[in-house]
Amino acid sequence: MISSMQSKIAVVLAVSTALASSALAEPSQELIDAAKREGMLTTIALPHNWCNYGAVIQGFKDKYGLKVNELNPNAGSADELEAVKANRGNTGPQAPDVLDVGLSFGPAAKAQNLLQPYKVSTWDSIPDDAKDPEGYWYGDYYGVLGFAVNKDIFPEAPTSFEALKDSSYGSAVALQGDPRTGNSVMMAVYAAGVAEGGEPGEDAMNKGIRYFKTLQDNGNLVPVNGNAQNLAQGTTPIYFDWDYNLLAMRDELDGNPPVEVIVPSDAVIAGVYVQAISAYAPHPNAAKLWMEYLYSDEGQLKWLDGYCHPIRFNDMNERGIISKTMLDKLPPAQNYAKAVFPSLADQAAAKSAVAANWGTEMGQ
Amino acid sequence: MAEFIERRKETACRASSPMAWKPDWNWLGVVPYLLFAFLFLVLPVLYLVQGALQTPDGRYSLETLMSLSEPQIAGSYWLSIRLSFVSATFGAFFGLILACALVLGGLPSWVRRAFMTFSGVASNFAGVPLAFAFIATLGRLGLATLLLRDVFGINIYAAGFSLFSFWGLAIVYLYFQLPLMVLMVTPALEGLRPQWKEAAESLGAKASQYWLHIGLPILAPSVLGCFLLLFANAFGTLATVYALTSANFPVVPIVLFQQIRGNVLYNPNLGYALALGMILIMAVTNSLYFVLRKRAERWKQ
Amino acid sequence: MKRIAFVPAAVAVVAAIFFLGPLVATFDFSLRMVRGDLTLEAYRSVLSSEVFLGALAFSSAASLAAIVLGALLVVPTAYWVRLKLPRLRSLVEFVSLMPLIIPPVVLVFGFIRVYGSSSVLPLTTSEVGINLLLVIGYVTLSLPYMFRAVDNGLGVIDIVSLTEAAESLGASKLRTIATVIFPNVRSAIVSGAFLTFSISLGEFVITSLLNRPGFGPYMVRVGQDQAYQPAALAIMAFAFTWVCMALMEFFATQRPGTLKVPIRFPKFMRRNVT
Repeated sequence: MISSMQSKIAVVLAVSTALASSALAEPSQELIDAAKREGMLTTIALPHNWCNYGAVIQGFKDKYGLKVNELNPNAGSADELEAVKANRGNTGPQAPDVLDVGLSFGPAAKAQNLLQPYKVSTWDSIPDDAKDPEGYWYGDYYGVLGFAVNKDIFPEAPTSFEALKDSSYGSAVALQGDPRTGNSVMMAVYAAGVAEGGEPGEDAMNKGIRYFKTLQDNGNLVPVNGNAQNLAQGTTPIYFDWDYNLLAMRDELDGNPPVEVIVPSDAVIAGVYVQAISAYAPHPNAAKLWMEYLYSDEGQLKWLDGYCHPIRFNDMNERGIISKTMLDKLPPAQNYAKAVFPSLADQAAAKSAVAANWGTEMGQ
Repeated sequence: MAEFIERRKETACRASSPMAWKPDWNWLGVVPYLLFAFLFLVLPVLYLVQGALQTPDGRYSLETLMSLSEPQIAGSYWLSIRLSFVSATFGAFFGLILACALVLGGLPSWVRRAFMTFSGVASNFAGVPLAFAFIATLGRLGLATLLLRDVFGINIYAAGFSLFSFWGLAIVYLYFQLPLMVLMVTPALEGLRPQWKEAAESLGAKASQYWLHIGLPILAPSVLGCFLLLFANAFGTLATVYALTSANFPVVPIVLFQQIRGNVLYNPNLGYALALGMILIMAVTNSLYFVLRKRAERWKQ
Repeated sequence: MKRIAFVPAAVAVVAAIFFLGPLVATFDFSLRMVRGDLTLEAYRSVLSSEVFLGALAFSSAASLAAIVLGALLVVPTAYWVRLKLPRLRSLVEFVSLMPLIIPPVVLVFGFIRVYGSSSVLPLTTSEVGINLLLVIGYVTLSLPYMFRAVDNGLGVIDIVSLTEAAESLGASKLRTIATVIFPNVRSAIVSGAFLTFSISLGEFVITSLLNRPGFGPYMVRVGQDQAYQPAALAIMAFAFTWVCMALMEFFATQRPGTLKVPIRFPKFMRRNVT
């Protein structure tokens, strides 16, 4: 279902999805007042350098004067669902109100009754194939999987998964964590499997695991999480992540060291994240207001500023509210031309494959 | 809680019969302290111990404890024990040598004072910043790594060294273990009275004989005691490993940390069992230490 | 002047290289944020960050609260035990050493379970409660050192005579503690306070597992998101620890009366708590 989004997204000026006017809707005063009475919003797993979330949170705080209580910013999608489960009935600051999880985790959370439905006022401008018809979860932004290369160490950046097998990349390649808990890491393994010629779904995941097993065996894989510090200091000169995060990291390092963000030539996998409100949210109105903010033009443009493609990109682009400078800053469109959006079924199959096989294959 | 209520009852009884044998109110003065300790030290541990002896559905059984022998968990314990042992051994050995050099080596007193002050700071300088410091030193592009490569022609990473491996971590641990040893063993070295050495020499003993028959036997309990504390110190270390390797180096505290964080591998009873295992290891090393300290104290005055 | 023996000197030099090397390397790296230049840009970037200031403010407040609570708990107890209940001394001392046997990660796990949402005393379900739990965690971490510092401080003054003198002049128990005993052990408390502060300010395990926006978790996050700022933070943390330790030593040796006996902190038991 999601793969049909591909065509719409690849070409920036694609078919219209909805009425432009709805995008201008403001949240109702009742909602704002109710949220202010709750006073606080509890988020989880929102690193400030991820998709420009730092500015998004600040913008929300400034606009509505609510406190934002940020739980473990490094949690993975699976961790987020666990946090909801663990805090059933807990109305304290430990219980997250809102989630931002990998696409496949949306339906999974809905099936476990961890979510409550809500439709933002800009609902109609979210593409139908990126949202739950009942409003339990809704796509928020997307990007493609890539890797960053520290050019001080590798002046000639490798350009494919295949190239990373070469012995010249000894102790150089890293993931960002455990693919069983984090969506981006899981998709990195999946992309490797697609590059290895895996069929979508379980097969790609298993081939991906074998790919990383090969890197582990030949010593190319570093058992450390890739991040800005480790890239700059040469611990993980190459690591996988979404292109938007890598581009933001490149900007942060500002040429010291020079970083190149590569979208591998042998597999371009796109990933969509979704927003959802916890069924047990202690601050349900603050959560709804947060969603309104995220899906307003203002919120969506903030994401765009962090190199993410917000889900209402086409709608906003048609209405001409995205400035030329912003469009120019975006990753080149040809990166997205070949992008494959794995279907929900494929992702679910991949998820169970990684849960079953990653630990035993990699000896963890 | 029950214990506390019992005490309250006792108080009530005594209060109601002031005519009875002279009431001793003095113990009331330590109630806040003991209550605090009960609520925030004893009770949490008891809760975990109880959880470790139960199955997830609440039956009492040794099943959960048995899960400690699963290869992954047992592997974590083994890794933790080896790392603690290695870092404590090297810490104790080099720390003793350094302390000997400082106390008995006739170095200028400012050198000794500088080392002592530094040790006080360094033994407290653990955790996240320590990890950062070592990444800048022995990381792939660390200053020491580059110095060795460019000046001495030794490429430690090509030779298979990694800061994020067992031996890399052992070196990082040494940064707080070594100064800790210096601080702990210095009083024992100062306790070696020069008269003993003079007496031995006047009886014709060589320096080596003095050390073999007098010095080391006197120092042995202290050194062994210090070793145990270094072991316990290393065993409980979490933040340094976490900042250095995230969760990719599965020592026991890291595994427990992940369990509590509640990731997908979550099983609360396993968490209880892990915690109980840690407490047992800490309790054994600390008790042995106290026994040894008692022995070491024989030689003081 | 005596000739310095070669072997001890060599040992000291090697040790100095091992100790100073990482500091030099970290300092060097922290200056390299701007390519081809040595600048303090990384420090400027850290110090001007609101997140940094917020985390520092939060942790400082929590650490100060831990010092106050710790002193309120330890001073009267240690005094009372020395004055009236010498036979309980070994029990009280043993209790003060318990945190050395229970690793922080285990302790906080117990906290979360015992004071979680289904508990009689659900501290983790409100912000006040969870902050209180954090402070209590810091108090337990520093309990062994605080107790030892204060107990040693009391050991050097003759509290029995002081108390009798005060009472014979008509002072109440509370007044005696506040105006006679407290000033006499003030430097011991301050000394313990600095140690408490250096332990809790950068504490990571408890702070992180209770999801509090403290300085320890902040440092870990910066380590993931940024490259040069972590080195600057490490240098600042080292300098901070140094200042705390120096102040602790200074106050520990400021004793009332004539005795100039330095406290022997149980450094031999110091565990890696940050």
